[in-house]
Amino acid sequence: MINFDHVSKIYEPSIIGLKDVNVHIDRGEFTFLVGHSGSGKSTFIRLLLKEFEPTEGTITVAGRNLQRMRRSTLPYHRRNIGCVFQDFKLLPNKNVAENVAYALRVTGQPIRAIRRKVPEILQLVGLGDKMYNLPDELSAGEQQRVSVARAFVNHPSLLVADEPTGNLDPDTSVGIMQLLYRINRTGTTVLMATHDREMVDKMRKRVIALEDGQIIRDEDKGLYR
Amino acid sequence: MSFRFFFSEAMNSLVRNWVMSMAAIVTVLVSMFILGLGMILFFNFQDAISDLRSKLEIEVFIKNTASQEEIDALGVEIRDMPEVKSVYFVSKEEALQRLRESLKGNEDVLDALSGNPLPPSYQITLNNPDQIEEVASRFFDHPIVDNTPGKDPPDGVKYGGETSDRVLKVTTIFLISGAVFVALLTMASILLISNTIRLSIFARRREVEIMRLVGATNWFIRWPFVIEGVATGIIGATAAALAVLLANYFLVQNVVEKMPFLFSASAVPIFRLTLFVIAGGTLLGAVGSTLALRRFLRI
Ligand SMILES: Nc1ncnc2c1ncn2[C@@H]1O[C@H](COP(=O)(O)OP(=O)(O)OP(=O)(O)O)[C@@H](O)[C@H]1O
Ligand SMILES: [Mg+2]
Repeated sequence: MINFDHVSKIYEPSIIGLKDVNVHIDRGEFTFLVGHSGSGKSTFIRLLLKEFEPTEGTITVAGRNLQRMRRSTLPYHRRNIGCVFQDFKLLPNKNVAENVAYALRVTGQPIRAIRRKVPEILQLVGLGDKMYNLPDELSAGEQQRVSVARAFVNHPSLLVADEPTGNLDPDTSVGIMQLLYRINRTGTTVLMATHDREMVDKMRKRVIALEDGQIIRDEDKGLYR
Repeated sequence: MSFRFFFSEAMNSLVRNWVMSMAAIVTVLVSMFILGLGMILFFNFQDAISDLRSKLEIEVFIKNTASQEEIDALGVEIRDMPEVKSVYFVSKEEALQRLRESLKGNEDVLDALSGNPLPPSYQITLNNPDQIEEVASRFFDHPIVDNTPGKDPPDGVKYGGETSDRVLKVTTIFLISGAVFVALLTMASILLISNTIRLSIFARRREVEIMRLVGATNWFIRWPFVIEGVATGIIGATAAALAVLLANYFLVQNVVEKMPFLFSASAVPIFRLTLFVIAGGTLLGAVGSTLALRRFLRI
């Protein structure tokens, strides 16, 4: 699903984002990306989304070489990756249903399909009764659920989450975590960057640890440490 | 389905940004109104000038010393010219009669004259008024034409050349300054529309960021902004077109009767002009938003 081959990212003027990273993640895996602040987790995720290019190396996602991908096909690449962020990235002036519908509209889905899929996915994340609320009428945990719903409504083959529980209290975090776990169980590859030691230790999934842009540990059923 | 979505996004943005939108709409209105008004005046002037020129004639004055044979020969010569539409001979007596009529009430001035000093003349109209100078010049050196020796331009031949030149010069100046003015206003409209769109891009940068993340194509992101700019242009231009219609109505109602030589209702293709004004405003909107997108929405 994801392959990093000798990937380095040096930010101007010479800040190391990632350094010679080699990693392979299989379809359907659930993987944690851990490390201290500034260790390169977000850089890893943004490279996956092709928000910028690596300084060196090649990245392959779903069999497609990102460096050879043309700019015009970039939108289709992104549709295949659902993303969830620490700050939710919801549109404040659109209600919950419209926020989720946005991801479907962009792909040119017919209105009838949108009307069917949006309530369905909101039901799935437990927000069936908050469809017409605005984001700031929801709790942080609920907002993150909306953002997970938006990321998953297209049924992408890969879901990336950059510290999705970073702004949430432990109980709410567990809820989000369960949601991501359920999504993974449908066959979707999930990659989650996190600081949440307890969560990582409880889940016992693959853990990739970064430090100063390098992979220092990569183990199955790992711990945060 | 997408158009309705783009359209409502564009309208939301237009309303949210209403102060700038109004400013842009008003500039489009003013520039397109002045363009429309200028064109109404242009059509009327053009009509008036061609009217004026078609009435222009050449008057060839003949020396009092010329014999009747020489006068008749000149008449034949003129009639044989292919450019000539009609020739009318004004005898000495008729010339005096005309002068008397034009002096109505002051005829006594003429009593001071001894005899009839007025020369006879030929009045010539042409098929094509543009040839007037060329034809007139043929009489400059004619032996029986009443030219004062050494006078330039010759005074024995009168034609409306100077007047029509002056009218042409004035209209040209009028047209050029009008065009410059409209060009400046057009640029101002484009800049204001582009600035409005820049502000809405800025106001919606979060939306744009999210659209990119969920995989919107470039055009999907751009359309609402293009529509917003074009809508701004159309709203301003439609208002301008209405104002132009009103202005034309006012001219027809009030001015045509008083100055029929300058204004005529039939001179203006008002329907096409209205469409032109609306199309112009639409174009301004499209250009304005394209400029803003190119500069401020790097994708
Ligand atoms: N746009 C950028 N320009 C320059 N340097 C950057 C940029 N983004 C990140 N960096 C630097 O690259 C390094 C890795 O940053 P990154 O955001 O990937 O870390 P992170 O692991 O996500 O940290 P955190 O846990 O705080 O989110 C840091 O030293 C950071 O300062
Ligand atoms: Mg980060």
